[in-house]
This record gives sequence, C-alpha cells and structure tokens, in this order.
Amino acid sequence: MTTNGQVKTKYAFYPGCVSKGGCPELYEAVVQVAEKLGFELDDKALESAGCTGAGVLSKEVSDPINARTFAMAEAAGLEIMTICSTCQGIMTQAHHRLKDEEYRAMINRDFLAEEGLEYKGTTVIRHMLWAIVEDFGLDKLKSMVKRPLNGLPIAHFYGCYMKRPPELMVPKEFAKTRKTALEDVIEALGGKAVKTSGRGKCCGFPILTSNEDNSMAMLGDHTLDAKAKGVKAMVTPCPLCHLQLDGKQADAEAHKQEEIDMPVFHLPQLVGLALGFTPKEMNLQRHLVSTKSIEEELGIGVEVKA
Amino acid sequence: MEVKFAVKRYDPITNADKSTQTYTAEVDEGDMVLDALLQIRDEQDPTLAFRGSCRTGFCGDCTMTVNGKGAIACRTKVKKAWDGAEDGAIELEPLKMSRQMKDLVYNAREFHWNKFRAVEPWVDPVQPPEKGEHLVPGGHDKHLTESMRCTQCGLCDQGCTVLVVDKTFVGPAALTKAYRVVADERDSRKRQRLDKLSLPRGMWDCTHCFEASEHCPKYIEPTDRIFDLHDMAIKAEAGPPKVVHHYKSFAASVKAHGWLDEGRLAIETEGFTNVKGLMKLLPLAVKAGLKGKHPMPYMLHKKRPGHEQIKRIFEKWESKG
Repeated sequence: MTTNGQVKTKYAFYPGCVSKGGCPELYEAVVQVAEKLGFELDDKALESAGCTGAGVLSKEVSDPINARTFAMAEAAGLEIMTICSTCQGIMTQAHHRLKDEEYRAMINRDFLAEEGLEYKGTTVIRHMLWAIVEDFGLDKLKSMVKRPLNGLPIAHFYGCYMKRPPELMVPKEFAKTRKTALEDVIEALGGKAVKTSGRGKCCGFPILTSNEDNSMAMLGDHTLDAKAKGVKAMVTPCPLCHLQLDGKQADAEAHKQEEIDMPVFHLPQLVGLALGFTPKEMNLQRHLVSTKSIEEELGIGVEVKA
Repeated sequence: MEVKFAVKRYDPITNADKSTQTYTAEVDEGDMVLDALLQIRDEQDPTLAFRGSCRTGFCGDCTMTVNGKGAIACRTKVKKAWDGAEDGAIELEPLKMSRQMKDLVYNAREFHWNKFRAVEPWVDPVQPPEKGEHLVPGGHDKHLTESMRCTQCGLCDQGCTVLVVDKTFVGPAALTKAYRVVADERDSRKRQRLDKLSLPRGMWDCTHCFEASEHCPKYIEPTDRIFDLHDMAIKAEAGPPKVVHHYKSFAASVKAHGWLDEGRLAIETEGFTNVKGLMKLLPLAVKAGLKGKHPMPYMLHKKRPGHEQIKRIFEKWESKG
C-alpha cells in the first residue's frame, strides 16, 4: 500500500520507440500519470529489450526478439505494461504463437539460449488502458478526478491493434472490461463518449508510404465524421494513430479541402488533465493541432492542484 | 416465432427507386436467414432475388448484409439476427462494397472475379511433369491448406477499411488467393507475381488492420497471408522502391540500435538521392521540430543497452536463410 491508500501495482515498463521518438509528450505524460495512480513502472527490467517489429519486421525475426523481451519480464516476475497499441498488438500476437511448445522450444534453443535466457510462456502483457480498467478500477479513477470533463463530447479512437484479432485482444474473459474500455475511461473522467464511424478502424498511418491519397482519405473521413457528430476532441491509446490524427491532420485538410481542426489526445494526457495536471505538464503544447479550445471548455487557467 | 425482415429491394427494369419492403415470416428457432428467405420466396413473393446454394456454409454464395454487417445467410441464425435487429425488423441488403444488381444480388464480377482474375490464380509449374501429376512431398503444402479453404464469400473485402476509400484496391480476398499460388512450390513465376502484386492498388495498399481476418468465417486469416506476401516480397526486394527502402531501413536501424530510428526511417524511405521527396518531408519535419517532436537520426539516436543481442538475433535469422 502507498501512503494514500492505493494498491501499488508494479509493471515491467515497455514504452516503445514512438513514445521516445515522434511522440515524446506521451512518455512524459505516462510517467506522471502512472505515479499519480500508484503504478510502479520498473524501467530497468526491459531496458535492453528490442523493438517489437511493429508488423514491419518479419515474424521470423520479431518473434525471437519479443520472446527475449517476455523472458526478461518473466525473470523479473513482472507483467509488461505497454503504452502503444501497435506494441501491444504485435506482442500479443507473438505471445500467442509462443504458446506452442515446439515453437517456443525452437526459439529458446536457436535464439535465446546463447544469452542464457529462456522464455517459459507465462508473461502477461497489458496496455495501460487495460491496466487502468482491470487493475486500477474505474470507480477509483472516478474518485480521483479533480477536473471533470463536464460532459465534453469526446470520440474514442482505438486504432486497429487494441481490438483485432478479437480472439486475442478482446478474449471472452476480458470482454466485459476491454470491449468498451476507452469509452468507460472517458465517462469515468466525466466526458461523453461519442461513437464515430472510425472508432475501431485503421487511421491510415501504415500506408502513408505506399498510398498517401488513401491514407489521407481515411484520416479525413474519421476526423470529419467526428466533427459532424459534434465531437470536440479525440482520444487514442496508440501513438502511431496520434502521429497520423494530429501530425498529418493538416495534410488531410488539404486532401479534403475542408477545415478539420480536431484536437487529439493521447489517453494518459486526457486522464492527466482530469486528474488535475496542467496542459504544460501533459505537454499539450507539443501537439500540431492546438488543444486550446478544450482547455478553454474545461476552464483551465484556473489553478487546480494535481 | 414471428419475425420481420426489411429487405432493400431493387429491380433494374420496373423499379428504379431502391425501396425497402417488409416481410413477416413464421420461422423455427433454428432457422438460418437463408432458410427464411427461401420460405418467403416460396410462399409470399416469387420476385425476391438473392443468391444461395449449398445451405451449409460451404459455397460462399449467399453473402449479404444482415443488420448492417456482412454475413453468410446460411450460417446466420434468424433468432440471433432478430435479437440484434434495431428497428423492429432484420435489415437485409446486398454487400455494401458492390453494385446492387437486383434485390440482394450484388455484382460479383466487378467485386470479385475481375480482381481474382488480375492475380492470375493458377499455378504455373516450373516444369510440367513427364507423366502423371506434379507431386508435392508430404507436408510441403501445409502452409497452403488454410488459404485453400477460401470459399470466396467476399466477407473479408466487405470488412476492408481500404476498399471503403478506394474500390480499385485489389482487396484481401484476391490477395489471399494470390498467396495461395505465390507460396506454392510448384509455381515458376513467384518473382513476377510479387512484382505484379506490388503495382499501385496492389498488396502494399493493405494497412494490416486485421479487419479481413476478423470478418473471415473460415479462419483463413487473410491479414496474415498478406503479411506473408509482404515478407516474401521484401526478401526478394520486389516491392516499390520506397516501400523496400522503408522496410530495409526499419530492419537496419533495429539491427544496429535495438530499436527504431524514426528520423533515419523518414529519410531513407524517400532515399538519399530523392531530393524532391526529401524536400516534401521538410515542412512537417520543421513543424514537428519546433514542437520538440523531432526524433534525432543516426549517430544522435542512442543504442539500447541490449543492441548487441538484437544484432545477434538478426544475424542468426539471416544465416537461417
């Protein structure tokens, strides 16, 4: 137990490449919000872990790299916490393949033994969104809100990998918590979750290189649909979606020849704002689409002690 | 059990307006949607057009939209559809991605067959066998068995997020078929096929969103089959130059540093000599840089502590061929 009576939950923290590269605002927000919630993020257990492969690297090489990561968390006796849907999705898929004992034995023998590692198949990998809903609890989150979102209409944008393949990402035993995890967090923070057509769809980021027109059409459709439904901001648990929804929004406006102007939050930033952190602490100034309209709606500027 | 069906009707000759007609039918609890449609056609309205054949989920013919979602009519229980009906009737429409030809009949030629034809879904053997059949040693076709189960029902295409914005994309159904021949060891045109699949509107337009796998009623995992095609193409350096650069740069930076160097990836995807492409990156790079969002490339991208081990894993994999 911590001093404020919360159960301390410890995880092997796997921040992923993007939260330390293109979305540094995410990493900094996570560290502060996790501390506030009483999550202990062990950043030593996986400090030498590699990239998940992000669906770009062949499974033939990314499965051994991921097995190595799982083995390190297993040895430390910790669950892994991710803050990126893509990391979570790719790891969960690798984790599933590694349940096959023959396959796992091959990976252990051919790739991990030389380093003295062995993956026994027991590691659990949990996205921060799931950790909040499943380990921390929505009621407790609700009780900690200092700056409620005042019914603000917010669109939940999961991205691909938090939802699919459904049998891996939303298995029966977690159907209750994971099906509407993001909506439930928005509501717990006092916001109003608004269903949009893009909520479980691909943001278009993966095909930026191969077909930018289609990528921009997808981004434009998702954000404009949110706008048409009266949404004031979007929130995503995936930094790659954020790179697209926030970073490429100006290009989608040019593609659609229509103003979009839709602020997009990383999940921990929205949680942080509601818990009383300042926009500066949540690094909102780093977004390419201004979040000022939301700050004004929430009457920020008025001091709230986090 | 009495249920209502709201069918989106269309007759190209007599009714140019697409209207919705409601039918009431008395069905058994265990009936499938196709059973109910056959009953309605037999007992109430012989003009109602729909596709259907095997009635056991084997042929993939009776695909349609049930309550807004793609479904195989002979595998969809009326009771379940009725429980999920929102406006007091089970909504039936033809597949959304295609042109409605008559009632629930969609244009399969445009939607399926032209795309299947484009991937030339037949094996071209390396050498015709001297006599008898071209035999594949036991187990050598194990990886193909899943994709061979495809009934071409089209549900994966119905779920595809790319086809929503671009109907000219070849789509997961045809790509799954393409995998079936590209990965067949008897085929002689692997490289040529990968090149062709890499043309615009081909396999590189797939986002890997897993909608196709989610929609597949036969658990063929079309998304994984497209991943497999991409892997084969990258190994053969058969993709479009920008894509090959992207994949190679990604692998090279993870191999060298243990994790992705995003700055390097952006530059190398365009290519060092592609001045126009690099200039195009500049405005966003400057904007992101001013916001403190620009990752530093190359020497400024720190190596992770375990980078030697990641490199070792890469080398081991490469040595396995």
